[in-house]
Amino acid sequence: MFIQTLVTGLAIGGIYALMAVGYSLVFSILNFSNFAYGSIIMLGAYMGYFAMTEIGMPIGVAIVLSIVGSAALCFLNEKLAYSTLRKRKASSLYFMISAMGTAIFLENLVYATIGSRFYAFPQVLTQLNLEFMDISIGVLDVFAILFSFLAILTLHYFLQTSKIGIAIRAASYDMQVCELNGVNITKLIGWVFILAGALAGISGMFLGMKYMVYPTMGWITNKAYIAAVIGGLGSLPGAVTGGLILGVLETFVSAYVSSVVRDAFSFTLLVVLLMVLPTGLFGKFLEEKV
Amino acid sequence: MAEYISGVVALSLIYVIATVGLAIFTGFTGLFSLGHAAFFAIGAYTAAILTYFYDVNFWLALMAGGAMSGLVGVIIGYPTLKAKLRSDYFAIATLGFGETVRVLLENLEITQGARGLPGIAVETTLSMVVGITVLVMWIARNFVCSRHGRAAIAVREDFVAAEMMGINLFRVRLRSLVFSAVCGGIAGGLFAHYVSFIQPSMFTSVLSTQLTASVVAGGMGSITGPIIAAIIFVALPEMLRVANIWRLVGYGLLLVLIMLFRPQGLYGYRELSFNSCRSLLNWLTLSAWRNGGKT
Amino acid sequence: MSVLELISVTKKFGGIVACRDVSLSIASGQIMGLIGPNGAGKTTIFNLITGVYGVTEGTISFNKEVISGLRPDQIVHRGIARTFQNIRLFRNLSVLENVCIAVDSRETYSLGATLLRLPQVSKKEREIREQAREYLSIVGLADKADVRSDALSYGLQRKLEIARALALKPKLLLLDEPAAGMNPEESLELAKLIRRIHGHYGLTILLIDHHMDVVMDLCEKIFVLNFGVKLAFGMAEEIQNNLDVLTAYLGEGYKHAIR
Repeated sequence: MFIQTLVTGLAIGGIYALMAVGYSLVFSILNFSNFAYGSIIMLGAYMGYFAMTEIGMPIGVAIVLSIVGSAALCFLNEKLAYSTLRKRKASSLYFMISAMGTAIFLENLVYATIGSRFYAFPQVLTQLNLEFMDISIGVLDVFAILFSFLAILTLHYFLQTSKIGIAIRAASYDMQVCELNGVNITKLIGWVFILAGALAGISGMFLGMKYMVYPTMGWITNKAYIAAVIGGLGSLPGAVTGGLILGVLETFVSAYVSSVVRDAFSFTLLVVLLMVLPTGLFGKFLEEKV
Repeated sequence: MAEYISGVVALSLIYVIATVGLAIFTGFTGLFSLGHAAFFAIGAYTAAILTYFYDVNFWLALMAGGAMSGLVGVIIGYPTLKAKLRSDYFAIATLGFGETVRVLLENLEITQGARGLPGIAVETTLSMVVGITVLVMWIARNFVCSRHGRAAIAVREDFVAAEMMGINLFRVRLRSLVFSAVCGGIAGGLFAHYVSFIQPSMFTSVLSTQLTASVVAGGMGSITGPIIAAIIFVALPEMLRVANIWRLVGYGLLLVLIMLFRPQGLYGYRELSFNSCRSLLNWLTLSAWRNGGKT
Repeated sequence: MSVLELISVTKKFGGIVACRDVSLSIASGQIMGLIGPNGAGKTTIFNLITGVYGVTEGTISFNKEVISGLRPDQIVHRGIARTFQNIRLFRNLSVLENVCIAVDSRETYSLGATLLRLPQVSKKEREIREQAREYLSIVGLADKADVRSDALSYGLQRKLEIARALALKPKLLLLDEPAAGMNPEESLELAKLIRRIHGHYGLTILLIDHHMDVVMDLCEKIFVLNFGVKLAFGMAEEIQNNLDVLTAYLGEGYKHAIR
């Protein structure tokens, strides 16, 4: 039971880590919480689902489609809802409201058009289990862990070596100086959202496969925020660590205590952390110059 | 027909009371409470349980509902405001709070869970709602046009400078939160005794969104704007017979459009400041009458 | 009798040391200057005294009470007021209202009275406004009481900041570059104003500024800061002739030029 819970926890943690990284990418550059991220994840899941069921694509293609589609949507989201605010140098409150509006709009649009039905992915991978030593581990979970690991590794490599990646890392420290050094900020921000969107697509697919696909599934990004806080705002390694820790902790609480308590636990953890350790494990130091 | 219209008006005003509370909170702190429906729900359930199960006098129950909401406001506000959360984290925390309250309401014995509480005595009348709305607005006005209101405005304008004026940021923010919670609670109590049947699914993020949208559309930093927006948001869909879901699609789109094209909403920052105080004070204080309207 | 004491105060922001081992003591009624090149850490010292930043090491005491670690509003109530390098007025409010907010810290009435609009509220409000007008007359802004504060000229905005700080009835006043952006005539007027309020209210003043004429004119003692560390301390004439100070301001070349 312990190993099983641990594996499930790591799988969930991997997905949380993906979401937290996507969220932290945007946060570290634009300094606001992209509340619409959850709806991108949701749309990614829907895209993959309908690709498989309506168009009959195999699962691999569906995942790729979801990644590309989500990346595009996320990019569009920025262009439509945020870029004007950025040019106006609006405070982060306005970004937040715009993000919220986008999320509400998208979620309810899906509700109104596609409907509130919960969709379950075809049982390709979802029911397969590895059995050994009396323990049953879901193949899906293993795949989720592997995929998340791969995705984060790829991202890390991209950020360390590619020109855009380095620019992104620089911009997360000081965007103005970056601009003064000749970096095209608009292009850079576009790339950040594309990357975040890609991560959203993967998260959406695995969440949809592990659980179900429904309009409000995007709210799970609240967990991403919590994970990002645990790891430290603006820190990518922190986001990964936070995601894994949260996933494992939550799953254990759900398994050994009760699943109803699970969400209350996570939110309480968030509030406690923000009071006790606001910079998280790896967070950057932020004190305002007066 | 007249009864239908008075029904819409009464319902609008009930939401107006909750909206005024939220407008004061957001207008003064710049923070967003995304779970405000929770205060509405707490007030509704507290008042309803007291009158339904314990035969408590309606007015006492109503006040108890407000007080309970206020108390919960303190419990939520204490850790979140003390930690000086930035606006998005505070919003997330309130979102979690809203959800938690709803889950609690669905699982507690006394609230009869998801089935809800039917058969609540209908006590709320239109004149009652109008009276309470005016009272709430009068109290809000008093607050704004005082040293407490000044302190809150200073905190909103520049909290660093406000602290340098000896203002305790935490206390000011908590006060605004408790006030908005009490408003929400009283509105909830009135609501429960108007529609006669409440269940947790009535107090979801749909309601929180509606309240938030009213404040944003009306203008954060104003009272009149959100009031007008709240009335429009209740009355218009009623008149157009728009389904709940599409209403929400509209709210979402509206929020984005407002941020892009008119972030100050209807009334912007005009009201929660002193210019409005001076003109209103002139009507409310006798000395001003004597001085011919000059402060 | 020392009013303010900094004992071995160090402030670190992560890896950056903004000030290191700074010890400073101001006697009651003194006007002390705090000077140093840009980035020396002068405003940081102000922020540490007023509680905006917490000290990493060391203590700060005011009237024998340790204040390092208190909240800014608590420190204000103990009698310390400041002005800001980048003016921080309440822009959307009028000149009078800005000062009223400061007067509020000393004239109070309860929340209950406010909500029910009891008669004492109107009475107190009148008193508050009268007091605020007095402070405005002291700095010469009485006729601009109802003007929006951000509509004032730069020099007048600085004066408003001073009026606002005075209205807090402080014992110690911290002035952060009050003469910034002023021409010689305005700086002279400002120096006279500062001298006037110093005498009239019996204040102790710590002054940061780059206008050396103002600093040398007003300050009995001067503390020089460079790269977050104490460079020199003494009477005005000593500092004017101190080689290290001159080098810090004029550059290493100065030392060679002197030789």
